[in-house]
This record gives sequence, C-alpha cells and structure tokens, in this order.
Amino acid sequence: MYEWKPEILRRLASLKLSAAREAEIADELAQHLEDRYHELLATGQSEAAAFRICIDELKGEDLLARGLRPIERDWYQEPIAVGNDSNNFFSGIFQDLRYALRMLQKSPGFTAVAVLTLALGIGANTAAFSFIDALLLRSIPVKDPRQLVVFNWSAHREPDLHGHSDYGDCADQAGIGDCSFSIPFFKTVRAQSNSFSGVAAFAGPIDVDLSGNGAASMVRGLYVSGDFFSTLGINALIGRPLALSDDSPAAPPVIVLSYAYWVRAFGAAPSAVGRTVRLDSTTATIVGVADPNFTHLTPGKLLDFFTPFSLADTVRGEWWRNQDRLSDPANWWVVMLGRLKPGVSIGQAQAAAAAIFRNEMLHGAPSFFKSEDAPALTLLPAKAGLNGETSQIAPALYVTMIIVAFILLIACANVAGLTLARSAARQKEMAVRLALGAGRARIVRQLLTESVLLSLVGGALGVLLAVWGVGTISKLLSNSPGAPFLTIVAPDWRVLAFTIAITFATGVLFGLAPALRGSRLDLTPSLKESACSLPGTAAHTGRRFRLGDALVVAQVALSIVVLIGAGLLVRTLQNLHSINPGFDPQNILLFGIDPHLAGYTDQQTQQLYGHLQQRFASLPGVESVSYSEDALLDGGWSAGSVHIDGAPPKQYANTGKLPVGLNFFSTMRIPMLAGRNFTSADFAAAAATNAAEKARDTAAEKTKAAPSASTPASPTALDEAYYHSAPVPLIVNEAFERTFLAKQNPIGLHMSDAPRGDAEVPNPGPGYTIIGVVGDTKYAQLRRKTAPIIFLPLVSNEAHFELRAAASPIALVKNVREIVSQAGDNLPLTDVRTQTEQIDQILFQERLMARLSSFFGALALVLACIGLYGLLSYEVARRTRELGIRMALGAQRRDLLRLIVGQGTLLVLIGAAIGIAAGLGVTRFISSMLYGLDANDPVTFASVAILLTLVALAACYIPARRAMRADPMVALHYE
Amino acid sequence: MEWKKGSAELLILSLVEARPRHGYEISKLIEQRSGGTVRFHVASLYPLLYRLERRGWLHGRWVEKSGQRRRRYYRLTRQGRRVLASQLRGWREFVAGINRITEAENV
Repeated sequence: MYEWKPEILRRLASLKLSAAREAEIADELAQHLEDRYHELLATGQSEAAAFRICIDELKGEDLLARGLRPIERDWYQEPIAVGNDSNNFFSGIFQDLRYALRMLQKSPGFTAVAVLTLALGIGANTAAFSFIDALLLRSIPVKDPRQLVVFNWSAHREPDLHGHSDYGDCADQAGIGDCSFSIPFFKTVRAQSNSFSGVAAFAGPIDVDLSGNGAASMVRGLYVSGDFFSTLGINALIGRPLALSDDSPAAPPVIVLSYAYWVRAFGAAPSAVGRTVRLDSTTATIVGVADPNFTHLTPGKLLDFFTPFSLADTVRGEWWRNQDRLSDPANWWVVMLGRLKPGVSIGQAQAAAAAIFRNEMLHGAPSFFKSEDAPALTLLPAKAGLNGETSQIAPALYVTMIIVAFILLIACANVAGLTLARSAARQKEMAVRLALGAGRARIVRQLLTESVLLSLVGGALGVLLAVWGVGTISKLLSNSPGAPFLTIVAPDWRVLAFTIAITFATGVLFGLAPALRGSRLDLTPSLKESACSLPGTAAHTGRRFRLGDALVVAQVALSIVVLIGAGLLVRTLQNLHSINPGFDPQNILLFGIDPHLAGYTDQQTQQLYGHLQQRFASLPGVESVSYSEDALLDGGWSAGSVHIDGAPPKQYANTGKLPVGLNFFSTMRIPMLAGRNFTSADFAAAAATNAAEKARDTAAEKTKAAPSASTPASPTALDEAYYHSAPVPLIVNEAFERTFLAKQNPIGLHMSDAPRGDAEVPNPGPGYTIIGVVGDTKYAQLRRKTAPIIFLPLVSNEAHFELRAAASPIALVKNVREIVSQAGDNLPLTDVRTQTEQIDQILFQERLMARLSSFFGALALVLACIGLYGLLSYEVARRTRELGIRMALGAQRRDLLRLIVGQGTLLVLIGAAIGIAAGLGVTRFISSMLYGLDANDPVTFASVAILLTLVALAACYIPARRAMRADPMVALHYE
Repeated sequence: MEWKKGSAELLILSLVEARPRHGYEISKLIEQRSGGTVRFHVASLYPLLYRLERRGWLHGRWVEKSGQRRRRYYRLTRQGRRVLASQLRGWREFVAGINRITEAENV
C-alpha cells in the first residue's frame, strides 16, 4: 500500500483541523485512494501511472481544501476524550456519555454480565432497605411524632393482677415489665400530671365480627380513649373523630373507621358516616373516617376501626367474661401515650410521671408492689417505644441488609475484575489518548462515566428486581402467624435516595480501580500492537494482576462469610425441624371453630363439640378426633398460677394451661405415663363446676351493677353451690411433676387457683384434682424449653379440632366443611391447616432467613465463581503464547493444568482463609437467631469452605482445560 | 454537463437509501450507473459526504470486517430520509415540467 496519508495531510494542512479529525479524514481518503489505485491497476495501468492519476484526482484544483473549509471549520469535536483543556470538569460530559454508550454496545457480553450482576446487587439492597425504611425508619404518621412518648413500667416482681394483656405494641423487655397499664392509672396520670398537653390510651387490635354492611366479616378494632385523636393530632377526613364525650358509659356507641377500611369495605362512600353496624351483638354508629395519612400506630398492625373504651364492656365481653376492665386497677391492658408540653423535656416528664406511678403502686389501693420490688416508670419516644412486631423482625432485617451489602461488594469486586480484564484490552486506546495529550483526570472521568453508566443501567434493572423482591418478601411475611403482616412497604424518597446513592457509589467503587490503573499507563509498550502478550512486559502486567487477584480473593472471602451465615441459619432450621415436639405431628388436620361468636351457650357448645367429634370420627380415613382451646405449636398459649395443697402459703406454681377435649392425648399420640385419661364423666363434672362459677359471677356482677336494689340471698347460695361443686379433674405433664411435685405421688393431689390481688388465702372454690400424668410436649413454640402444663377438660370457649388421618388429611377438608355447615349455619371454620403446616408457620422467620440467606449465599458463590472464571480465562488467553512455548519445550498437559488450577486454588484458599477468619468474628451477631449450634459451628465452617473450594475448582477447570488443549503451533501463531 | 442545484446530494442520498455504503463504493456506483458520464473524485466526493453528515442527513461509522481494512460506511438518517423524499419529489416535478415543455415543442 502506498503511503497516501502524507499526500492527503499536506492538502489538509491549510485547514488547521484538530489532529484527530485530520487523522480520520486521512484514514478514509487513503482507503479510497488505495481502492482507486487497485482499480486502475486492474484496468492495465502501470503502477506509476495509476499513482499519478490518483494523486491528480486528489489535487483536483485544490478542490479538497476548498470543499472542506466551510464544512470543517469549528466542526467535529473529537468524540474520544483526548486532551481537552477545558477548565470546566463537566464540559463534554454528554460526549463522555455517548462514547461510554458506544463502548458498552461494542461488548454486549461484558455489558450484560456486568449489568445483571449490578442489578442483582443493587436490587437486593433496595428491596432490603425498603423494608428497613418502612418498618424501622419511617416515623409514626401523626402530628409532631417527636413529642409523643410511650409509658413503660418495670419491676423486680410480677404484680398480682386480675388481668394482664399485651397486644404486641412494645418489644419484650429483658426483665419484668411492659407497656400495659390499667384504665384507672391512666386516668390518674391524665388528671395529675402537668408535663403533658395530652395523655391518651389505646388497646388492641381486637378481632370483632362486623355485620350490617354485606356479609359478616372479621375486622380489627382498636379501643381508644376519647382524647386519642386530639392527643395524636389526627383529624377526621369526613365526619368527626372520637371525643372525650364518647368515653362516658352513657354515650351512644360510636366508631370511627380507618381510611383503608372505609375504602375497602365501603368503597369510600361518604354515606358510610351515619350508618349503623353491628359489632358482635352491639349496634354502633359510624361517626367518621380517620385521616388517610394515619395508616398505623405500631408498625405491622393493621387497624380497621377505632372505638371508645366505653364499648369494651359489650363488645367482646365474653372473652374477658365479667372482669371489670374499665375501673379495676388490677386489670392492666392499655397502652398510654403522652404528648409533651412545649418546653418540657422527656426527662422532666418522666420524673413527674414516675413519681405518680411509684405512689400508686406502693401506696394505692390496692398496692401492687413493695418498695424492694423497685417499680419504675420510663417514657420512651413513641417511635422507639411502639416497635411491636418489628422488634422481632428487626434482627432478621438487619442481618439481611448486611448479607445484601456483602452481595453488593462481591458484585462490585466482580465487575471491577471484568472491567480490569477489559481495560487491559483497551490499553492501546488509553495510550493513544494520553499520547494525544489527554490529562489523567480526563481519562479517569471517561472511564468512570462508563462504570457509572453501567451501574445506572444496573440500578434501573435493580429497581425492577427490588419491586419484585419486595412483593415476594411481603408475601412471605404475610404468612407469619397471628396478624397478617401490614405491608406498608412502598418506595419513598428515602428508598429512592438510597438506591441512587448506592448506584453511584457502586459505579465509582468498581470503576475507580480500573480507571486509575488505566490512566497510569506506560505509553511506549502499550502503543505497540501486541505489547501485552510480550513476556518482557511482565513487570507491568504483574501489577495489574495483583489487583485482579486481590479482587478474586475479596470475592471468595465475602462469599465464604455469606455462605457461613446461610449455613448456620439453614442448620438452625434443620435443628428446629428435628426437635421432637412430644406428639406426632404427621397427618393431622387442624381447624378452629368459635361457637360463641355464633351465639352458642356453653352447654350448646359442649353438645356441638361432642356431635362434631362423632361425625368427624365416622369419616373414612379418620383415625381419631379431638379438640383443644389452642392447637399445639400455633404460637398461642395461656398460663396461670396454682397453689398446690401442702405447699407453703404464697408459693404458687406458674404453669401453662390447655383445655382439651376427649381423646386429646391418644389423638396427638402423647403417652399416658401415670393415672388415667379423661372420661366423659370428667367433662360432665368440669362443665357443672364451670356453670356454677359462671352463675355465681353473673349474679355478683348484677349485684355490683345495681347495689341499691334489694338483693335476695341467692348470690350467697350461688357462692355455696360453686364452692361445693366437684374439683375439676386435670392431667399434668411430666415437666409439671418434675418442677413442682418432687417425690410426691401426683395422682389425687389437689390444687387451687392462686388468689387474685391482695388476698392472702387461695381462692375459695372447688380447685382441681390431678388424675393423670402425660409425656412432655412443646406448647406454644418449638424453641422454648419444655414447660409445665396442666390439661383441663374443655367445656366452653372456642376450640381447635385435631383430626388424625391415616394418610394426608387435606382431602378431608371438604367433608369437614360440609359437616360443620350442617351442624350450624353461622359457624365459620377458621385456620384450616395441617399440623405440619402449622409448625412450618411458627418457624416462619427461621425459614425466611434460611431461604433468603441460602439464596444470597448461592448468589455470592456464583458471583465469586464468575469472577474466578473470568480472571483465569483472561489469564489463559493472555498467556497462550507462553503456554505454547512451554508445551513446545516439553511441558505435559498435566503440568499446564496444574499451573492454571494451582493459581486459582491459591487464590481460593487465601480467600477462604480470610473469609473464615472474618466469619469467626461476625457470626456471633446472629447467635441469637441460632438454635442447637454454636455461632462458630465447626461443621458449618468446614463444609462451607469445602463446598466453595470444590465449586471454585470447577470454575478453574474450564479455563485450565482450554490451556491444556493449546496447540503449540497455533499458540505461537496466535499473535 | 450542467447540474441542477442539489442533484449531487440527491444522488448520494439515494445510493445509501437501501443500505450503508462506503465512499469509494458510492463513487463507483455513480460512475457505473451514469455510464461514466457522472464522476466524483476523491477531492469532490468527500467534502460533499462530510457536508451531508454535518447536516445530519448521513451518519458515518467506521466498520471493521474480517480480512478487510476498516472503512467508513454512510447510512441515511431519519432526517436524510425525509430530505431524500422531498428532493425526489422536487426532482420528478422538475423532470415532468421539462418533459411537458419539450414534448409540447416536439409534437
């Protein structure tokens, strides 16, 4: 090829074009002249003549310069970022972007892998952060939430109370104490304290049967004090909020709907206000709809309506029976909120409120504590105090956040490694730029633009993944036992800011190393065509590979840590699954029935249960049938204190209580260890005693309600009837016998309920007689230690039926529904599930963590292997010539295999060692989530290390095989 | 030969309408299809190509094909396509006008 370019450049000289533009035009025209020259040769011209013709055509009366001058003047900014001496760093950022786009288009494989990797990292982080934001960071949607405080009490001893409820608004305290108070105490604080501009109380949610608006449905209501809305600063969207006047017992029953429920159940019809609905059996008027912004108070708790405390006596009165919730100081069940007066600090308010609390507790009537019990009251900011269910989920969320942060780091290291390998191929480009006068800053900027562009695309894709991930995790969370988890998870500015921040940080993080490396180039060897394959440049390439090696080591180390965490959580789940619950959970169908909601009396309930038990037992495939108040391992439990005859006075046995039906132990396959099982006669006796007690309580209630009326002697007669009824037969478990009845024969022992309040003597009443002992079972939770339980005959209340089938019990559901609907129209079947599903459900958090961490562990492993594979593949490609020479000199294929695999293995082992050391340091942070194994469980550590090494070796083997197949001839011709 | 103003642009635009072509290919096609009567040499062709590119009617791109040296291929942009359509229309009207005049004289 002739040297056309000098001829062309001479004719362009007068135009004073930029060097790059000049070079480009010369390139194109030289190509044209070369084509023309060969064409002329083909037509028979001599070389000299052809050359002359070409040059003449180029000269053409100075046409070229004249033609180009008007066009080329100030046109064509160099798209490649060469030395642009602009003072403004951001000038030409658009060009950078355009160029970056072009570069990414040029290598779609690299771009796809990088974008996907980043999308996974950013998406996982965004999803995890969305939950942390929604559940832990977002403030309570009320006016000035910072002024709002929650009351908490603590003491060294449990007070003796008639009733004590906790609806899960506050986290479990380490010692004794919570955020439940009595209504009288609430009223005392409201009257006496002057630190607050308002004090309000609430309790719930309580499930209520709401009818009068289509089909009856279960809704969740919150009992609130009349000043709840004014204290929280919540207005009504339509109608009015509740007011203090609604608190009076004489006030007509009213409710306020939450916005979400109003939209859901009433289609946002304004006419809903003023309508009446039935709550259980009480008619109430809807007077307003709360502000749409007021979505929740305690995160995770959904509320459908608000109702004044005055309704608490009639709505769901059955559950509390005739206990006096509104004026009994020994019924602690409401959460108190105070709004600090302007200028009053939380410390000042606490001092004042604590003084009231101490006084009431020590010297009130009744007094609940002695001064050595150290009763204390603290005020917490509402945001910190009302953490409810989130306190259980928070550790899992934080662990997830840390895991996904690790994933992002691995993704960054991975893409950095890919970029680095690619930048080696672009060395020549960089060298040309530097040679043309580009500053280092300019090159760094160009390379960073490329990496940030990559991470932006990855971030955009990541947000899509996050939306999907949030949906999936919400679905998983809503399977949690008890309340359907409130999915208040929605992206807000904080999530958006977080995503944008991590996206840019990611781009800079993985782009910076290659960018700095790329700009620190030694020009001379790089400008030579195949510099990087010359053995002589080892010093230069060696430096790059130290960085590449470090990135792979970092990825391996990070994935080891994630995998160890996942391994520990998976083994925890296995350990929990392999716990023997003390009964046989296979092939049991569970479902709940609450005849009281349908208006059944105790006697009718008893008959219904007996009838259903018979019908179910006759179903084909059913082996036996029983029922109990709570199903085993459904997370719910009840407990009480009893006094065992012969024990010192005031020494009470605190024990779990579970009322059960006939054949409960045989159905659940719980072994009978001593004494005898319940018989029908036991149930009849228990029912009679229960009826006598209820009759007495109802009469006492009437007397109290109308004390002036002349009361006949019947209450005392009823008292007598109750006291003289037969003791309730009960069966204790082994743990009860072990804990409370050392060396006594339990059969026939008598015990009574612990006294209420200040009474010195045990409750008069028939008490209980032990008739048998059964094997230990887990009651509410698998993780809890086996605790003492007493089993009583179930003679009232709701029940969960247990059907033991010969095979999978799911097929029975249809028949069961038929039988129940034949037995009564209004009997809803609730919580239909198998016992194994039930156990899965209470292990929900463990399963979620095990699943999430395994998923991310696998992801980390894959990413680390891609990184390793990429590095070694590049290494093999780079060293093809060297490998060829080695083979030509007599190296065996085995040697080459060892060479490449050896390099990979070394990196993996270093990474694994670092990862294990880091794992030893960090796993203790999840030790509270583990069960049955140590945070530094050697089996987990070792198996993770072995797994990763094996998988990593496989990743090394593929490039190594390619190296082995190197044909010396081909390899040496490779250049 | 006399040129209508803009007709050289029309030739180039219509040649790259179907597919991208490089400069030499364009000059050869013009020469072949005109039976050698119209010729663009390097000195006149490239200023024209650069002008069309500058106007945004053409887009030039370096393409490397295996076994060949890299060449700059020009393709019609969306704007170029519109210009070509309107120029073709103008050209046809011009030719039709000429024809009407000359045919009337020759009848």
